[in-house]
Amino acid sequence: MKAPRQGLRLLSRDWRAGELRLLATAVVLAVTAITAVAWLADRVAAGTEGRAAELLGGDRALVSNSEIGPEPETVALDLGLETTRTLEFTSVVLSGDDTQLTAVKAVGGAYPLRGRLEVGDHLDAEPRVADGIPQRGEIWAEPRVFLQLDLEPGDPLELGASTFTLSQVLFLESDRGGGFQGLSPRVMMHLDDVSDTGLVGPASRVTHRLLVAGEPQSVSQWVERVEPGLGDGAGIEEPGREQPGVAQAMDAAERFLGLSALLTVVVGGVAMLLSIRHYAARHLDRVAVMRCLGATQRQIVALLTWKMIWLGLFAALIGTALGFLVHLLMLALLVDLLPSLPAPSLRPALVGLLSAQIILLGFAVPTVLRLKRVPPLRVLRRDLGDHVYRGASVYVAALAAVFALMLWQARDLLLSVYVFGAVLGTLSALGMAAGGVIWVLRRQRGQRSSASLLLSGLTRRPWTAVIQIMALGLGLMALALLTVVRNDLLATWQDRVPENAANYFLINIQDDEVDGLRAMLDDAGLETSVYPMVRARLVGINDQDIRPSDFEEPRTRRLVAREFNLSWLERLPEDNRIVAGEFWNKNPSDPEQFSLEEEMAERLGVGVGDRLAFEIGGERYSAPVTNLRSVQWDSFNVNFFAATAPGFLDDAPATYITSFYLPSGQSRLLGQLVREFPSVTLIDVNAILDTVRGIMDQGARVVELMALLTLLSGLVVLLAALQVTREERQFESALLRALGARRALIRRLAATEFLLLGAVAGLLAGAGAGTAGVFMARQLFELEYTFNPWLPLIGAAVGAGVVALAGLLATRRLYRVSPMRLLQEADDG
Amino acid sequence: MVDAASASVVRTEGLGMVFRGPDGDIRLFQDIDLAIERGETLAILGASGCGKSTLLGLLAGLDVPTEGRVVVGDAELTALDEDQRARVRGEQIGFVFQAFHLLGGLTALENVMMPLELADRPEPAVAARRALEQVGLGERMGHYPKQLSGGEQQRVAIARAFVGEPRLLLADEPTGNLDRATGARIQDLLFELNRANGTTLVVVTHDPVLAGRCHRVLHLDGGQLVAA
Repeated sequence: MKAPRQGLRLLSRDWRAGELRLLATAVVLAVTAITAVAWLADRVAAGTEGRAAELLGGDRALVSNSEIGPEPETVALDLGLETTRTLEFTSVVLSGDDTQLTAVKAVGGAYPLRGRLEVGDHLDAEPRVADGIPQRGEIWAEPRVFLQLDLEPGDPLELGASTFTLSQVLFLESDRGGGFQGLSPRVMMHLDDVSDTGLVGPASRVTHRLLVAGEPQSVSQWVERVEPGLGDGAGIEEPGREQPGVAQAMDAAERFLGLSALLTVVVGGVAMLLSIRHYAARHLDRVAVMRCLGATQRQIVALLTWKMIWLGLFAALIGTALGFLVHLLMLALLVDLLPSLPAPSLRPALVGLLSAQIILLGFAVPTVLRLKRVPPLRVLRRDLGDHVYRGASVYVAALAAVFALMLWQARDLLLSVYVFGAVLGTLSALGMAAGGVIWVLRRQRGQRSSASLLLSGLTRRPWTAVIQIMALGLGLMALALLTVVRNDLLATWQDRVPENAANYFLINIQDDEVDGLRAMLDDAGLETSVYPMVRARLVGINDQDIRPSDFEEPRTRRLVAREFNLSWLERLPEDNRIVAGEFWNKNPSDPEQFSLEEEMAERLGVGVGDRLAFEIGGERYSAPVTNLRSVQWDSFNVNFFAATAPGFLDDAPATYITSFYLPSGQSRLLGQLVREFPSVTLIDVNAILDTVRGIMDQGARVVELMALLTLLSGLVVLLAALQVTREERQFESALLRALGARRALIRRLAATEFLLLGAVAGLLAGAGAGTAGVFMARQLFELEYTFNPWLPLIGAAVGAGVVALAGLLATRRLYRVSPMRLLQEADDG
Repeated sequence: MVDAASASVVRTEGLGMVFRGPDGDIRLFQDIDLAIERGETLAILGASGCGKSTLLGLLAGLDVPTEGRVVVGDAELTALDEDQRARVRGEQIGFVFQAFHLLGGLTALENVMMPLELADRPEPAVAARRALEQVGLGERMGHYPKQLSGGEQQRVAIARAFVGEPRLLLADEPTGNLDRATGARIQDLLFELNRANGTTLVVVTHDPVLAGRCHRVLHLDGGQLVAA
């Protein structure tokens, strides 16, 4: 027999007979979840990797914190390379009294050397490739700037001391980068306009870039000649190597989404196991007859395997198509965060095909293949081979498939083991709690005869009820975590921020501006402290030179690799506490002392008495640590990891920083500040928090989509359980009606069962999500989060509603058809 | 005896079956020597639980005896493994059951096609249609078992049993689930087709009327097969 053809034919007959539909639905949902993430990841990866040179704006870039001298450009021109310069900094733009912090990029004539800019004349315009760069006196801005300041093209916009015309909407800036790094909306201007704005001073935080492009060999020669002469704070960027942080974040996001997609597989897996067992039980006779009619075991195996392969193929096609639609929805949710992406590849479709087969191999094939053991003698003796499809190996295969998929998505054995353990642990906890509730209900049933009938729905089939509660509970728990608990955690964190915490920071204040600025803030009735800030790099501990590679922890490595802000303190800030050593007097006799924040000291492995060496502008400053401080960072006051006593850094180039609380409605002061002190950068904390919250909300909504798919899988478990118990229910319903029960009573009994089932699942999910929230708050975010007592109640209400609706819809026929017909059908099996 | 055995379609030698029960071994039957000739019809009668169906199952190679051997045509079933016995069944043996055993998800036509498809015979639908027409169900080929009466279902089962042109037809209480009139019509059909195809028929039954239409009637009594 031609097994593939026969398998397909048998599958189509099964399908017509209504068999395997729930199994297929569960597989489709699982593939939808997996491929939605695969489509998204594929396009984002292609969008960032595939256009590496475009992302850089050239073939190589020299990046520096300070102005780049003429030498590297001369070398490039000598080698026949194209060059251009860019300058990036953050600054506030003004429109009337409205302010907006923006990321400014000033670009030279030949920009971009690689990639392109897309602009439009108005917000709804079709983007077109820009012809050149902004003219002098003009600014191009991202749509967000127009929307947030309520501007039209042609409107004036103040930046520093200059007023520009907002001439074009900037739709695409290919070297903006592919990730989540751009918090502030972006504006672009001509490089020659920068000096007039007065925004860039000697100690300003500005990133200078020299872009080069040309023949690969010449580019390599340029790197060889220029790189050795680069000082601190300068380096060469290569396509594909820039922004490792973004690449890591994207990779982590992809893995997280991939693993959350697997919750759908786990929950759907329960539905698959239930429905395939039901299928196998119904097919015992069929296989026995086939064997009696001459089918060999090998034929049976080939037929059933091909049937599953075909089923997997069709489910994969539908699931992959649905996954594509879900990924479009995700892209719509993330539209502000992602650059425009290339067309999708076919790889996710392959992922869909493969995962469908792995899922069926794990959850369905082992049960189905056990049917080959049905003895042919069953055609004469119906009791033979009743349990051949049961066995521990079925569950081992299912767990192995889940673990294999987790390993595939996480690409990390340890992480897979943790996640696998967490999911199994959660399912077991839900199972045990569900078992406890059913046990209590059973006892109630015995004690109160009036409740007896109403409670009987759950207690008559305790195992089925426990399985349904576990599966629905997991889906509801994921949803509760992502919605209620997430908001609770954010609110808890916000509550910790004092009412009058600083909501504006001013940075880049120059030495000669300090007094004037302080006076202006005093006049406005604002209490402030102005702190000096020196950019320094940690270079030695106890007279030994240190390098980033000396440390294992990534955050410590970054700390050592980068310049950070060093200050001096005249007195201990109010939200700091000395935890070791002693703080200096106001006028210490020896200014050569360091004070360190305790966590930083711990990471560096230093304590009171150890000597630290910092390099500031080529000079080395070495002194012992005399005290450690604890800092309350979320007070939103200006605070420093490392500080010295006054007098030590007097020779170092410093800028100043201050923060203040300005009640809403007093934004006029901001306008004055920015106009009077154009080089000072104003940072609006609320705007940044809003942006961060916006990103979190957008990200969370994507994950919520995955949780919804998990809940849908939970409903498929409910339907699978209903299918398994259908004959029993049918018989019970018919019998009760034959005994005189009215249809309304039967419907009420079923409604009670579903309401109870959903309520218990939701209650446990809410309690579980709350407990997980408390755990996460303490362990991950160091927050004191109190368990939200509403969570179990909300969970119970949502669970009861959803499950009752789905359950009653699925069983409505049982209350419509005549009892006579139901009893006949029950007899027919 | 030797001659009879060599001309037989099915024969058994020293056939015995012992079951292991909770209180020790239970002997169902022993030392059964039986030879059934080509075209012969044989009825096996006996009380419920005496082992008639088990004997039928052994003749079909659905199970293996604890003693003795079974030979169908040239094949000694007791020397073959399960898959080899399945092949012999597919090629040489047809079945009719008391409970019909039609496959619920398949139409009448698909049910009849099943043994041909399993044996990978060419154009199974053509032969299956012909078989259904022979049993008078030419108009109901697309119906599912649920949409057919008991008598019609058994006629589909008979068509399925004959469609592969088996040498041996085994029937287990073929009219046990049918009313008297329908049962009589099914008997007529069974014997008519048996005659037309030259098949050897072994029928296990309680029904003395059905048994009376067979060439030979044997009783399974006290573990021994004896002539009526």
